[in-house]
Amino acid sequence: MLGKPKKPENEAPFTAGKTMEEQKPAPSASAAPSAAPASPAPQPRPVPPSNEEKTTIGQQISIEGRIRGEEHLVIEGSMKGNVQMEKHNFTVGANGRVEGEVRAQNVSISGQLKGTITAVGKVEVTKEADFYGDIKAKSISVEDGAYFKGSIELSREPHRKSAFAEAAGGPLSSEAPKAAFSQPDAAKKEP
Amino acid sequence: MDPLNAPYPRYSDAEPFTESYSSTILKMFVETLARWRDVQTLDLGPVCQENIMFFAKRVRRHYVCDMFLRLQREQDKKSGRGDAFRHLDYPPGSFDGIQLWEFTDHLDDHQAKRLVKRCFDMLRSTGLLMLIALEKKPSPDIIKTLVIGRDHLLDVREQPHLKLPWYCRHNRSLLSLLADFDIVRSFRYRNGLREFLFKKPGLVRD
Repeated sequence: MLGKPKKPENEAPFTAGKTMEEQKPAPSASAAPSAAPASPAPQPRPVPPSNEEKTTIGQQISIEGRIRGEEHLVIEGSMKGNVQMEKHNFTVGANGRVEGEVRAQNVSISGQLKGTITAVGKVEVTKEADFYGDIKAKSISVEDGAYFKGSIELSREPHRKSAFAEAAGGPLSSEAPKAAFSQPDAAKKEP
Repeated sequence: MDPLNAPYPRYSDAEPFTESYSSTILKMFVETLARWRDVQTLDLGPVCQENIMFFAKRVRRHYVCDMFLRLQREQDKKSGRGDAFRHLDYPPGSFDGIQLWEFTDHLDDHQAKRLVKRCFDMLRSTGLLMLIALEKKPSPDIIKTLVIGRDHLLDVREQPHLKLPWYCRHNRSLLSLLADFDIVRSFRYRNGLREFLFKKPGLVRD
C-alpha cells in the first residue's frame, strides 16, 4: 500500500496506488487491468487476501521517490527512485520505465529498467524488455531478443561451494584472490 | 525433391549450424575458470537463457552485453549509424573469460579489430577468450544462438530478429586478427564450425 499502514480488511480500501489509477475499482488478480464493466451491478466484492493485492501505476503517472510496499506493484508509467517490497512482486509493464534500485520477492520486466535488482526469488526479463544494470536473484529467466546489458549474480546458500568448485572436485586455485575482484563496484562499471 | 533445389547441400558436413555438437573448447573454458576464485565472465550474446544460467551458476558474477542486438540497432538507425562498441565500457582487467561466440563473423575487419582490442583490454592477464567461427556463410543465413546443454553440448536456436552481415574468415585471417593473444587450442568440426580458445599473455592471473 505504498508505505501507508495496512488497513483492516473489512474497511473500504483507499490506497495511493488506487488513487493513481484514477480511483477505479481494484481489478482482481485475474482480470485485465483495463477491462472495467460499463455498469457493474452493485455486488459485494470479496476482499482478496492481502498478499494478492496489486497496485498499478498507470501509463500517465510519473513518480519520483521511494516506494515501500506490502502488496504487488506494477509500473506502467515512469518511476525514478528505489522500491523496497521484499515479500511482494514488482513488475515493469511493457510501457513502464523505471530507474533505481528494486528489492522485491520476484521481479518481471517487460519495459525499461535501469538500475539494480535484488530479488528473493526470480527475475524475469521478457523479449520486449530493455534492461541495463545489475541483478542479484535466486534465479533468472531472459527471453531471446531482450535488450540486455547487465550482470547476474545468483544467490547461493551460505557455506555451499560454487558449481564450479563442485564440478572441479578439487581444491581451488592456489592463486590468492586479488583485490581487484574484491571490489565489485569498481569492476561493475555501469556508468 | 531435386537435390539441386534442396535448401541444404547433399553433404551433411557442408553447412554449419545445422546440428548440435559437443564443444571441446567450451569444456576447456569452464574447466579452466573452475580453477580460479571470484571469476567474472562476459557474454557478448545473443541473449540466451540457458547460457546465462550455465555461467551464472558457475561464476561469481556473469555479465551479459548483447552486442548482436546492439549492432543490429545501430545498423537499423536511419539517422546515421552509431558506435555499438561504446557499450563495451568495462574497465581494463575486468574479466577472466569472454565468450565471443561467433560475433566476429558479423563484423568487418575494422570492427573486428576494435572488438578484439577491447576484449584484450577487458581481460585480466591469462584470461580466456572463446571464439567460434564459421567457414562460410550459411544458407539460409539465419543467425543462430549456440545454446549450452548437458555435457557441453551446443545446440542451435534461430534468432529471426537479427539480420546482420556475414564476414566469414579463413584461419589465417582469424589468427592474424587475434595475434596479440596466445592460442590455447583450436578445433575444426565436421559441421563446418571452428572453435578457438585464446589466452591473454601473462604468467599469472592478476
